[in-house]
Amino acid sequence: MQRSIVIIGAGPAGMAAAIEAVRRGCRVTVIDEGPRPGGQIYRQPHPALHGEDFAEPSELARKHRLIDGFQAVIDRIDYRAEANVYAVFPNGEIHLAQGDRTEVLRPDAMIIATGVREQAIPFPGWTIPGVMFAGGAQSILKAQRVLPGRNVVVAGCGPLPRVVAAQILRAGGSVAALASLRSLRAMLRYPRSLWCGRDILREGLRYEWTVLRARVPQFTGYVPVRAIGGERLEAVALARIDAEGRIVSGSEREIACDLLAINYGFVANSELAAMTGAEMRRDPVIGGWVAVTDAFGRTSVPGVFVAGDSAGLRGALVAECDGTIVGAAAAVPSTAVDGAALKTNLAATMARRTRHLEFQQAVRATLRLPDGIWRIVTDDTLVCRCENVRFGEIREALESGHRSLNAIKRNVRSGMGWCGGRTCLHAIASLAEAATGQAPAEMMTPRPMARPVPFAAIARQKRAAAE
Amino acid sequence: MTKEKFDVLIIGAGAYGLSCAWWMAKRRSGARILVVDEGEFASGASGRNGAGFRMQWGLDLNIRLCQESTRFFETAAEQLEYPRGIELKQDGYLVLAHSEKALAALKGSLEVQHRYGVPSELLSADDCLKMVPALGRNRLVGGTFCGKDGTISPFLLLDSLLKACRREKVDVRYGTRVEKLERNGGGFRALVQDGPIEADKILLCTDWAVPELLASLGLNLPVKSLPKEAIVTVPCTPRVKPILISLEHHISVNQVNRGSIVFVVSRAREGKEIASTPDFLAFASQKIIDLLPGVADVPVLRTWGGVSSLTPDMQPILGETEIEGLYVAVSSFRGLMTSPAVGRIMSALILENDTNDPVLTQLTPRRFKTGDLIVEPLLNQE
Repeated sequence: MQRSIVIIGAGPAGMAAAIEAVRRGCRVTVIDEGPRPGGQIYRQPHPALHGEDFAEPSELARKHRLIDGFQAVIDRIDYRAEANVYAVFPNGEIHLAQGDRTEVLRPDAMIIATGVREQAIPFPGWTIPGVMFAGGAQSILKAQRVLPGRNVVVAGCGPLPRVVAAQILRAGGSVAALASLRSLRAMLRYPRSLWCGRDILREGLRYEWTVLRARVPQFTGYVPVRAIGGERLEAVALARIDAEGRIVSGSEREIACDLLAINYGFVANSELAAMTGAEMRRDPVIGGWVAVTDAFGRTSVPGVFVAGDSAGLRGALVAECDGTIVGAAAAVPSTAVDGAALKTNLAATMARRTRHLEFQQAVRATLRLPDGIWRIVTDDTLVCRCENVRFGEIREALESGHRSLNAIKRNVRSGMGWCGGRTCLHAIASLAEAATGQAPAEMMTPRPMARPVPFAAIARQKRAAAE
Repeated sequence: MTKEKFDVLIIGAGAYGLSCAWWMAKRRSGARILVVDEGEFASGASGRNGAGFRMQWGLDLNIRLCQESTRFFETAAEQLEYPRGIELKQDGYLVLAHSEKALAALKGSLEVQHRYGVPSELLSADDCLKMVPALGRNRLVGGTFCGKDGTISPFLLLDSLLKACRREKVDVRYGTRVEKLERNGGGFRALVQDGPIEADKILLCTDWAVPELLASLGLNLPVKSLPKEAIVTVPCTPRVKPILISLEHHISVNQVNRGSIVFVVSRAREGKEIASTPDFLAFASQKIIDLLPGVADVPVLRTWGGVSSLTPDMQPILGETEIEGLYVAVSSFRGLMTSPAVGRIMSALILENDTNDPVLTQLTPRRFKTGDLIVEPLLNQE
């Protein structure tokens, strides 16, 4: 009997898992939100759009090698583009919406490869049009081949803001300032990591060179503390903050811009994993709450695997290796995963993953947010954009003894709106930790729907016969 | 281990538990009151229900409990010194009949309601459709409407009660689970993780979970758990002004001020599971579209579940058990809407042994032994 595997997400991990599972003779379904495979990092433009890509050639080569590999097996995959998984259940059911109908799948194994989203630290004015995520700005460049802004300030931590600044410059935009919470020199403390990641490092240095050559004003240790503007962003105030999160007096400076692109690291798209009942753990540096997984991506729920960044941020190279390993593990019965044969079989990929993971040690050092950073959030800063909840209300709920995300939600409605808390919950967890000294023990109870779906589509449901 | 002693221990910090505590504290009798709850704020059935209150019942006792409670909700902001208010909305309840039999039951109930001065009226199917154009015409034969029925925010009611209780020095503790009750001379001992709590009197407000604690004292009460599931949509244009109840569909519908529509959909199930069930969404969506075709295009935002209590006659249980000093208040799925009246009645009973309210005779826990069950005509249609 052919094993059935459903893979959720067609980014590096999902594509690699699909290629491997098909190779091992499984019946594979891939469900992806995007119109074309690639995910966020390997996002493909509409085929009718031409023009330059501003990424490094070696990076593009990696992207196309993987996408081509996926395309080569796509005829043997039940590939669902522009489809949403809106619920998964502990019994292994996957509910997806596609067009005007829904469908229930119940495969032998599911691989959740849903990646990460960007993290924001709310600050006064962050909801003014013209403030966006750095990755979002990059997506506009990648997918639509247009400049997201003419005069851009890029801010945040880790490598992404620097890459985005360089790509905006290469596309002909101007970068008014690049503010970094931490200097990339933090990576120098990990020489072994840097050696393992020397290929990636070379790409990074080329981006750095683009930024340096353009003489972009750089502000290390600065964060945006205020966005200025009404209908549109006009300027941003950058400032240094001390360990308590207070603005260092005299450090504030205003910079005119029409786009502020921010990235403070990433949050794992782990809601589906949590819905299956899988054991979760929290690590703010690699994505907040992530499923506890073993080397083969197995969660605490039999038949449920997580691969790639949604199991904790580790970048596209690790995600691709991870996809191959998890795809192989899902393709065999659980007892075979523990056998020696599979390990031997996957030895080369596992070694490669270890090497890429080693480099992530250095990246992690640049992503760790300084103590006190969450104190830039003032009482009247909007934290939950869907329900219009300001930090002051959340602080009051915390002071009244409501410490869990569920209890805070029931008090102030944070996380009850359109996005289901995807934007604000991790920020609220970190804010609670900063305010009370203790992080909430659990994520907000994840419930259907992961994405809104109309009644009509839910009522038109196709249910696969039990296997 | 520290030993603590209180005059009254209330177990369960839902609408019943907190309301009873507040009414007791309001008497300023000097009684030391402790409320414990195993969960967090609003994590039980009171924080999970459809938020409605109505006076449209077929039985005098339900009408009276809800009339008194409605008057309380109308002035809750002042009474509980909660300026933000509890999001009181009185756009009325429209109870729908999809069969002549259901319509006859509605007419019968209307007569009782009018005897108590409830401003309810009979509507034809056309009237119903005029009031809610999104309704389906299929099988609809009519309904009754009362403009004073409405909704409150369960979270805000619970928060206002919690704050008012704490102002009156009631000790309210979440995350405190009572494992077992023991008798202790004339009083009781409740075993919790941090040590025993002694109390002269105990009031159980844990609804469907009441039998577990009673069992530790050798008592039993025929209370079952009834899991229900709810759906909330994304905010949409106004489509459903009054709250709807369909006796045939077992659905209640409430479009809240921010535009989201809340559906509570019941089906025969057992258990204590609050997690959403895999087949619920498709089941509920088909029923909802049959009842309200005008919402078919509205996206569902989220689902959730809750567990309410079910008694053999589907009526609440209020009063003292066979053990002196041990009281129960079980809501039978109308806890939020009756909580103000129940709080007042139970506080008078427990602190002053006031048994004058006729509701206490009708809803006594002893009725299951004597067989004096009560029939609510509207519920028997559901």
